[in-house]
This record gives sequence, structure tokens and C-alpha cells, in this order.
Amino acid sequence: MKTIAVIFGGKSTEHDVSIITALASVIKPLELTKQFRVEAIYIAKDGSWYWDDRLKDISLYRSDEINDFVQKAPKVHLLFDEGLTLVKSSQFAGRKQYKRIDVVFPAMHGTHGEDGELMGVLQMASVPYVGCDMASSAVAMDKVLSKLIAQSQGLATPKFVHFKRSEYSRNMTETLERINKELTYPLFVKPAHLGSSIGITKVKTKDELNNAIEVALHYDDKALVEESVENLVEVTLPIMGNEEPIPALLEQPLLKSDEFFDFDTKYMQGGKKGGGKKGGSESGAQGYSKIPADLPKDLYDKAVELGLSVYKAVGCEGFARIDMLINGKTKELFFNEINPMPGSLYSHNWNKAGVSNVQLVTKLVEYAEARFRDQQKMATAFTTNYLKQF
Amino acid sequence: MIRRLASQYGINYATTIVYMLQSTEYQVRPYLAWYRRVDNFGKVMKRRKFAKTMAARILRAGMVCGMLFQIGLAILLFLFGSSKDELVLQALGILIALASPQVWARMIIIPLWAGKKLITEPKHQKQIKASERIFRDHPGVKIAVLGSYGKTTMKELLVTVLSEEKVVAATPANKNVAISHAIFASKLKGDEEVLVIEYGEGAPGDIDRFASITHPDLAVITGLAPAHLDQYPTFEAAAQDIFSIDQFVGPKEVFVNSEPEAVKPYLRDEFVKYNSSSIGDWQVSDVSASITATSFSLNNGKDTLKIQSGLLGEHQVGPLAAVAVIAHKLGVSKKAIEIGLAKTTAFEHRLQPRQLHGGWILDDTYNGNIEGIRAGLKLLSNLKAKRKIYVTPGLVDQGVETERVHQEMGQAIAQAQPDVVVLMQNSVTGYIKAGMERAGFNGEIRIEEDPLEFYTNIEHFIAAGDIVLMQNDWTDNYN
Repeated sequence: MKTIAVIFGGKSTEHDVSIITALASVIKPLELTKQFRVEAIYIAKDGSWYWDDRLKDISLYRSDEINDFVQKAPKVHLLFDEGLTLVKSSQFAGRKQYKRIDVVFPAMHGTHGEDGELMGVLQMASVPYVGCDMASSAVAMDKVLSKLIAQSQGLATPKFVHFKRSEYSRNMTETLERINKELTYPLFVKPAHLGSSIGITKVKTKDELNNAIEVALHYDDKALVEESVENLVEVTLPIMGNEEPIPALLEQPLLKSDEFFDFDTKYMQGGKKGGGKKGGSESGAQGYSKIPADLPKDLYDKAVELGLSVYKAVGCEGFARIDMLINGKTKELFFNEINPMPGSLYSHNWNKAGVSNVQLVTKLVEYAEARFRDQQKMATAFTTNYLKQF
Repeated sequence: MIRRLASQYGINYATTIVYMLQSTEYQVRPYLAWYRRVDNFGKVMKRRKFAKTMAARILRAGMVCGMLFQIGLAILLFLFGSSKDELVLQALGILIALASPQVWARMIIIPLWAGKKLITEPKHQKQIKASERIFRDHPGVKIAVLGSYGKTTMKELLVTVLSEEKVVAATPANKNVAISHAIFASKLKGDEEVLVIEYGEGAPGDIDRFASITHPDLAVITGLAPAHLDQYPTFEAAAQDIFSIDQFVGPKEVFVNSEPEAVKPYLRDEFVKYNSSSIGDWQVSDVSASITATSFSLNNGKDTLKIQSGLLGEHQVGPLAAVAVIAHKLGVSKKAIEIGLAKTTAFEHRLQPRQLHGGWILDDTYNGNIEGIRAGLKLLSNLKAKRKIYVTPGLVDQGVETERVHQEMGQAIAQAQPDVVVLMQNSVTGYIKAGMERAGFNGEIRIEEDPLEFYTNIEHFIAAGDIVLMQNDWTDNYN
């Protein structure tokens, strides 16, 4: 039986969301396959790593017992020995407990997990892992870079301006002038790297702009200001696969024309904002979306095509979710952003597309192993006489 | 053997024993049969929890006290033996102490048996005797519903349709033994036009006993399949018991579901036979069965009834037609019959459809007989789906027929061609698998050790386009 390590939590504003993704959408279905032994690895808010079967129990987090746990439990060490081995003290006669890992399933959202950092560690450890690799994760989690890559491939994005915190501090007036000159209001101000709509503000007038930028730069060192797409129809497309990606169903969050989904709406209110029905055959898992999106067929197909093109352009593998914006009147379609680790794997959408949770996690592990096998075929050593010269 | 012995000395042993009594409804024979089968007393309580009722607490406390008393005596005997250097007495002391769990697992039956014989049974006999007078004098038409399966469905259908124009009373839920009939009788007002009484035969002579008390005018035999064979010596004995109803109502007043093969040797010309193509002079046509409804036409000369029901499967056509004809016979208008039948929906856990993640679950977990299993599988076979998943633990109470019935079940599963078959690990799994293999099943088979875990996590296995048929359940007392 293969051993799969599911890594979740992390030093991220989306730490709590990650726990739900891991416990409900990854660990449980993986265990139900009866093909895998699942090891839970929890990264606490301070960045410490823990490995324990008790970490699979949601009540540990719900009751705040997790704080006691992290104070008492031994931290886990990673051993890179032609693969990945978990090591922890057994707290008994100095003995250590070892566990060889066959595949890693990262279930992290946001910084230090979804942005490629973790993937880099796993790449170094030479262990197969689920989802986008380090480079594509890093690009996907940078709203500026992903838009630049999309533009380079001729894929439409809303007009935008981007800058770093230091640049804004030095040249605030010039930056604001540049924004006002190049872009047309209303605008969206976004931190470049954060997910779950954290730090995003819609700005309708010049007076609101500076405040919105300060909010964004409070969370991130890079900000993006882009034109709002009016008569907005927001759609999102979960995709999985390596060389030949497979789309799920195009999903349409239900929201009022002047609204967007903030963190509270997405995770705390069950998506009730914007008049979305909770449950029902047309709604998504959180009850705020229509699956499949209610669009004319040609527009639906174009959106799927755009999603797949972005997925390939950025080099995504395993799975990801591509968010797109449509001007409902002009039918213009824009790439918005990529989410390389969608919350709860967007399993509600895959379910409607005919893929059960158990099938989904099994497929994702297969993609991870297939990519790893391909990578193993590559030469990583090159013999030279260079050192002999010294 | 060693595990069984060792587990008897666990801290929860007394609780487990009382739980076993609760699960078998304090019936001595099923309890003792289960007690003999248990391999590990530490793993008996899986599906439910020990209900802390007053009676259960008293029994548990009594058992613990009894065991402690026996162990105390054993210690005294051991000490006495030691003081006299009598090895035999010492050994006997140890033996008596070790035997206390086995002794008190049986001793606990004594107060139950005594209570039943001295208090419950005389009280029930009195109530039953009084009910005989109530039934005899009641002016309403009395319909007996009996058979190995489908009784509760038939009863509910009759009540739903007849209630459109008649005052109807029926025995509640699956309360179908003599004392249930007596309690039902005590609550009658006397103005009811129809009484629907379910007969739950469980041992030879039951039908004769029930009919002698309830005085039925008309009977519906819903089907015949191996059931309660732990009490009946043979399947034939059970069948003869059920068909003995014709002596009370007359053969012309017996409606029989003639669909199952098992019924055919017992059919008489005078019986009103019903199945998916006809009932008496009425002919069935235009049958249509989907995952949410079943519809058909019923014709007799110029008389036509357009039937639509939320009950699923072609096997429901016969019972629906029977209800329509019985209602017609009792003077219910055609329109009321159609309206009444249109109100019928799948009963809880009886081919009850439920949508999940865009897929469908057909919950047939109260289906406990081979004919019902076949009917559900036929429905599964006829429905269109991207992926068909079939889930069953097998059937209980099949007695000497266990192997044959489960091999047949395996063959029926293979013929329905589900993509995935989920079996629960128990004593009949091998027979089902053998039947499937013999019939050339080439889909995926999953064997689940813990049925409850599978049931509670079904949401992780289902997606849009899937149909999951779950048939029968297997409670702890059948392990």
C-alpha cells in the first residue's frame, strides 16, 4: 500500500481553509480508496511541522486543542534520501519514528504553500507530489506574472498597472497619476499574491484609490490595479491533467453586478451574498454558483478554450482553477487569475462533471506519479573535467 | 476461540451482553444464537450504541453484581482450598471465577424469561382475547396483508388510496404480530369503513392465530421468498402457513402476487392473481418506469385507469394494480383511485430515490428478500447511467437456504451488470462473489470491512450520472 503525505495548514491567511480542504476533500477520500495509507502533516501558523494521526480529526481544530497539541507534540523532520522520509521523536527512550513517503498531496492555500515554495522543497526531495510544480505555482500565484504570460500568448486580460511596495512608497504621486492616466474607473486593487479575495477592494473614484492600495500593500509587497469588467459575469473552470488537461464544468458564481466575492462571503456566509441559492441542483458546493454556467454555447466554449489555453501557457500540471471575467453586454472574455490549489479541490464542480471525490483524488495522485516518472527520465548529471583543473 | 475467551473479560462485557439483548428485542433464542456466534465481544457494538433505559441499566447492574458474587465465592473457595492444601478446591475456585462471564451471560435470561412468562404473556393474552371480540363485531371491511415481503408497502398503498373516499385505519408501521393487532383494536372508534391489518408471520401457525382473532374479509398475499427460516423448518412450511389464509376469507377473496416463481406451486384458480401484466380481468399496458416515477394503464373492457406513482420499478406495477382493483371493488371512484395512487411515493428505505452531487442513490436498505433484490436489480439494469454502483451486505434469516440464495443473488447482480459492486465483509460475501463469478461478472468488486463507514461516506463515491443502488442492511446481531 502506498503512503501519501497530505500537507496542510501553513503560515498563510488561508491556514484555516487549508485544514478543511485537507481533512474533508483530500484525506477522507484518499482513505476511502483503500489503496493508500495517509499521513497527515500539519504546518502550524508559526511554520512548525507536525505529523500525527490525530491531526486528521477536525475536532482538534474546532476546539482549539490544536494549541495544546503543538506545544506538546514533537516536530517532524524531513529526510531527503532519494525520496522523502518523515522523522519524529517517539518521545520514548529517544527512539525515532520513520515513515517513507511515496507521494505528497499538498493541500495548502496562499503563501508558503500554494505559491511554489513547498513544491520546491518536494522537488528537491525527489518525491512525486500532486498539483502544479514550483514554477507554475509561483507564476499562478502572482497575478501580475500570470497576466503577463497570458498576454504574451495573445490571451485577453483586463488592462492593469502593477508596482512593488517600495516603488509605491518612493513614487506614490507618480504611481497614482500613472494609474489615473492609463486606466478607466471603476478599478480593482489587489495584492499580487493572495487568494480567497483577501485585501481586494473595488474603487469607484480617485479619492478611494490610495486607501485601497494601502490595504493591498498591507498584505503583500506587490499590488495590481486593473480595470473592472462591467456588466460582469464571472466564471471559473477547474481543470486537471498534465499533457492533455481535462476541464470540469464552467461555473458561474451568482453575484450582483457591482459585487465580488470577498473572504467572508466565500467561506463564512456559505456564499449567500448576491442572491445565490443555497443548495439546489443549480448551485455549487457553497451554494453561490451555477453549474454549468448559464451562457450561450459559443461563449461557454470560448471560455473553456481560454481556460485550457491559460492552463497550458502557465505550465500547470495536476490541477488548477482558471478564473475568467465576461462583459455581459459586449461578450468580451478576459483571463483573471489562476488558483493552483482551489479550496476543497472544487470537488463540488467535479462531482457535477461526473467525477466523484474518490475518483478525483485517485486521478490527481496518478497525474503526480506520471509527471514524476517523466522527470526521472531526464538526465540530472553531467560529467566534466572541470574540478580536476583545481 | 482464544480471542472470544479473552474478550469476555473486558470491562464492557456486561454492557455488550445487555446491548445484544436490546438488539434482539430481548428475545432469548436470537440472543443465544448471536452469543454463540460472537468471535470478539469487544467488537460487537458497531452500528448502534447501548441505550441506557431503566430496564437495561437494571439488567447490567444485576449481571455485574452476579459476576462479582460468583468471583467472591470463587475466591473464598480458593482460599479455603489453600488453607487445607486442597489443589482440587483451588482449581475449582479459579475455574468458577473464570466461568463467571459465561454463566451470567446465560443467567441474565432467567429474569427475562420469568418476566415474560409471569407478567407479559398473561397480560398480552388478555388483550389479544379482548381484541378478538372487537374485530368480530367491527362493521368495517377487514383486509389482511401478508407475505414474506412487501407487506408494509401494500398496507400503505391501500391506506393512501382507500382514504380518498373511505374512513380507513391500519396497523401502524411494521407492528404486525398479535399483540400489535390487539393494541390497534383497542384504539378503534368503530366508525371505520376499512381496517388494513398487516400479518407478520414468524413461526408456524402464526397466520391461523392472527386470522382467528382479526376475522379478515379479504386478504392480499404480497409475495413469497425465503424468510424467517430460523423459525420455520422449511420454506414450504412458511408458504403453507401464509396460504392457509384462504380458509378464513375464501379463495375468491385472496389477492396473490403471482410474479415470483416461488408462489406458483401454491396458486389456486379461484385466487385473484396480480402481476405486472394483469390482475383478474384487468389488463396492464403502457408501462413506463424511470428513476422518479412508474406509470401504466389498467383496462377492463371500457373501464380504464391511468396510474402514476412515485414507487419505482416494474415490480411495483402488480401491487399498484392490485390496490386499484381492490379500491374499485370496495366502491372507490376511478378518479379517487388515480388521485390516491398519484400521491404515493417511495417509502423510506424502500427503493427511495435521493439525489446527491448530481447522481442518484436508490435507498433499498429495508429490502431483505431475494425477490425484492431481483426487482431492484432489474430496475438498476433498465435505468440509464454513466456508472452503476451496487451495494449490499447480503440477506439475513435465510437459514439452510443461505448459500443457494446468495449464489442466486450473485448471479442476479452479474446479470444487472453494474460497473462497481460493493459487498460488506460477512459470512455470505463468499457465496455472493461465487455467484457473480459463475455468471461472468467482469466489473469492479470492493469488499468493505466496515459497512457503516461506507454508508456514511457515500458522498465521496458518487458523482453526476451515477446511480447507486443500496439493498438491505446488516445489523450487529447478524454478525
